[in-house]
Amino acid sequence: MVNRWMLSVLLLALAGCRPAANDSYLSKPHRCRIYTTSYPLFYIAQRLAEDRADVLFPAPSNEDPAFWRPSRDIVRQYQQADLILVNGAAFEKWVDTTSLPMKTLVDTAAPFKDQWLMFAEVITHSHGPHGAHSHGNIDFNTWLDPMLALRQAEAVETALQELSVRPEAELRQRAQQLRRDFEALDRQLREISQGLAGRPLLASHPVYGYLARQYHWDLHSVHWEPDEPVTAAQWSAFDALRAQHRANLMLWEDEPLPEVRAELEKRGVRPLVFLTCGNRPSAGDYLQAMNRNLDVLRAAVK
Amino acid sequence: MKHVWFLAWQSLRFNRLQSAILIIGLAVPLYLPLTVNGLVSRYQAGLLQRAVTTPLVAGGLGSRFDLVLHALYFRGSVPRLLRMADVEAMRATGYAAPIPLYVRYTARHAPIIGTTLDYFTFRHLRLARGEQLLELGDCVLGAEAAASLGLAPGDRLMTDPENVFDIAGSYPVKLRVMGVLEATGTPDDRAVFVDLKTTWLIGGLAHGHTDVTSTNTDASVVLERGASNVTANAALVEFTEVTPTNITSFHFHGEPADFPVSAVIPVPKDEKSATLLRGRYQGPEATVQILAARSVVEELLGLVFRIKRFFDANAALVGVATALFLVLVVLLSLRLRRPEMETLFRVGCARGLMARLMAAELAAIGAVSLALAVAGAAVTIALVSLW
Amino acid sequence: MITIEQLTFHYRDSTFALRVPRLLVADGERVALVGPSGSGKTTLLHLIAGILLPDQGTIRVGETEPARLSDAGRRAFRIATLGLVFQDFQLLECLDVLENILLPYRINPALKLTDGVRQHAVQLARETGLEPRLRHRPGRLSQGEKQRTALCRALITAPRYVLADEPTGNLDPAAKQRALDVLFDQCARGQTSLLMVTHDLSLLGRFDQSIDLAEVSR
Repeated sequence: MVNRWMLSVLLLALAGCRPAANDSYLSKPHRCRIYTTSYPLFYIAQRLAEDRADVLFPAPSNEDPAFWRPSRDIVRQYQQADLILVNGAAFEKWVDTTSLPMKTLVDTAAPFKDQWLMFAEVITHSHGPHGAHSHGNIDFNTWLDPMLALRQAEAVETALQELSVRPEAELRQRAQQLRRDFEALDRQLREISQGLAGRPLLASHPVYGYLARQYHWDLHSVHWEPDEPVTAAQWSAFDALRAQHRANLMLWEDEPLPEVRAELEKRGVRPLVFLTCGNRPSAGDYLQAMNRNLDVLRAAVK
Repeated sequence: MKHVWFLAWQSLRFNRLQSAILIIGLAVPLYLPLTVNGLVSRYQAGLLQRAVTTPLVAGGLGSRFDLVLHALYFRGSVPRLLRMADVEAMRATGYAAPIPLYVRYTARHAPIIGTTLDYFTFRHLRLARGEQLLELGDCVLGAEAAASLGLAPGDRLMTDPENVFDIAGSYPVKLRVMGVLEATGTPDDRAVFVDLKTTWLIGGLAHGHTDVTSTNTDASVVLERGASNVTANAALVEFTEVTPTNITSFHFHGEPADFPVSAVIPVPKDEKSATLLRGRYQGPEATVQILAARSVVEELLGLVFRIKRFFDANAALVGVATALFLVLVVLLSLRLRRPEMETLFRVGCARGLMARLMAAELAAIGAVSLALAVAGAAVTIALVSLW
Repeated sequence: MITIEQLTFHYRDSTFALRVPRLLVADGERVALVGPSGSGKTTLLHLIAGILLPDQGTIRVGETEPARLSDAGRRAFRIATLGLVFQDFQLLECLDVLENILLPYRINPALKLTDGVRQHAVQLARETGLEPRLRHRPGRLSQGEKQRTALCRALITAPRYVLADEPTGNLDPAAKQRALDVLFDQCARGQTSLLMVTHDLSLLGRFDQSIDLAEVSR
């Protein structure tokens, strides 16, 4: 018994990921440091690596990771990481203007680049010889579609396999478990979508495009912020939109202001909070937050 | 023999001028081939060393010499540019970790090397002062570049305009010196390293300016504002320096997969991966060539240093002429010293003493000449290497 | 003793011929060798020294017949047994007085240069008035000093026989006398036989014997 215990301890002590390329001269076991740029990736990496690696997501919980800019010290930490998991699809703007090693950086949305969505309405600007161009017209909310989130998880799994974070069989088992969870979300969304039966939906922001595409929602979006009042002009535009698409449900990234909620309900539109989970939810983890989202939607659709 | 050496030394010392002339006359024809061969060997070794430490080089189709010189020594241009998509495709094979290079621009005539942090790890480049690259607009200088440009961490360095006559073209960018590397004795010492993205910025594929789409924008820079497009006029200033306050305004235009790269250093996992990678790009439809750097450099050195044979032949002829003159000098010396030889014979010198005496004097002259030639060659090689 | 009997010698491609039926130089004897130019005086000295080999006859120097020795043997015999003095001194310009005196010890392994030899050289130089000039090269010496240096070189090995070929021929009268005094004095001290070629008949009175080679060869 003692011998088996000692062997286990020894194996645990010896187990560790392969050090980063820039520390390849290290011969002693090294606990990998995995840095992520979004909460969903943090969740996925945690599910797969958990006790075998340090998974970090340094963005503050009160900031939108898509527009967050890390401090110099945090950028240095990313540079020294054994693995950097980025969402891609133009999510983390700061990566474009930061120096990160290519070898340790994994763009998890790159494998399905052909499926990226562009925002339908975007204001372009033109100057100089380049003509009209815009900044950031790619919809980066890829993880909201459980099937795309699964593709991202597969990219994470491959990267962890390269690092030998844990035995391959263990990693595969955890990945399969994660796959089942994403597939369960997918099944629920399909059921809910059937319940929608083609009814139009509204959204406060064009962030649910991947869900709309995958589950064939008739979704129409405005550009409202949950913590900002809606102007009269915006209400006019909303009414004009609703005249064309008689939607009763409106998805919100967060709870709208009470007066906005009241005004919507006066118009017969029910606001539903559907968290995008780009950052940590206030309660629970990504899967729990998504299940709560689906519960809310399911209840509203019935 | 010690008496022979004593007598030889006394004779040489007494005839200082003649001895000095002989020594110099012998040293010069020795010095020239020693120096040339030493310099050639040093350059060959240096060039080869660079190639040995760079197993593979990848780039567009065309002259393999141009590609290798460009990727290893940052000289010249490549026959054809690659795209970032080519780099990603190489990475996707799983056989190698590609390190992209974009060498096109200069800053006060020092070559700007656009690459990733992986390059520094690959080349074992260490910082002597300051910090590593962090953000767009940062640069790290090689040891020689820092010394010759007189720059240190915290200083600024302006890039050179690509075409001084194209005033409507891309503007120079003011780089921020983050660090200085330790000297390595390689072309890296003379380089200005920036992130690959910074070279795209220099090339005009990215820029930063105030947000003209915002309704708060200064109206004087807006030419026309429509529902879906805002046109700015020439008064819109594009930032020439990336600062903490304007960095978020910098953005890229176009498809990153199409952004240019001049060469790639694929770092294969192992020999087998290297072979598989090369095999992957060997077909009539391949648009990328992958070369074994060492073979190309050896071939190049063979071609270039073929001319060395002329130097060797010249040195041999000079050597023959010098030897003939030396023989003449010896014969004349023997004639002049005949009375001395006669005296020694009559006094009763041992057989062959005179021959040994002459041999000792010649050996001493030869040794000093050789030492002078070797020392001169060593100093010359060291000075040329510094220069 | 130097004994010559029935000696004949001639140079190749020359009509000159030397013939000495008999000649004796006793141990410690001072002998002057005179005769007209071309009579073979220098040749005879060279034959005795083993520098040249006779066509016929015997030359015995002490117990040795130089002609019977090998070339190396003759050289060793010459340097150990004989002291040669030349008219034109034949000093080595690159060596100072002391080293010129010690020259025989540097040019043949038959002689060993020791501290005792060096001291003897200094002693000889002192006795011949050369001590202040020990570190001077021949270029800084007077004719007399050069000749005395040559004499010391001939005497440093304590030879049993000194063969001098007109050693005072290039000296002024005063230097001549002084050189002869040194030579005779040193030979007397070492009981060294002296065979000296000279044209100066006024010196004959200082020798034990005079031999006219022309007469002997007739």
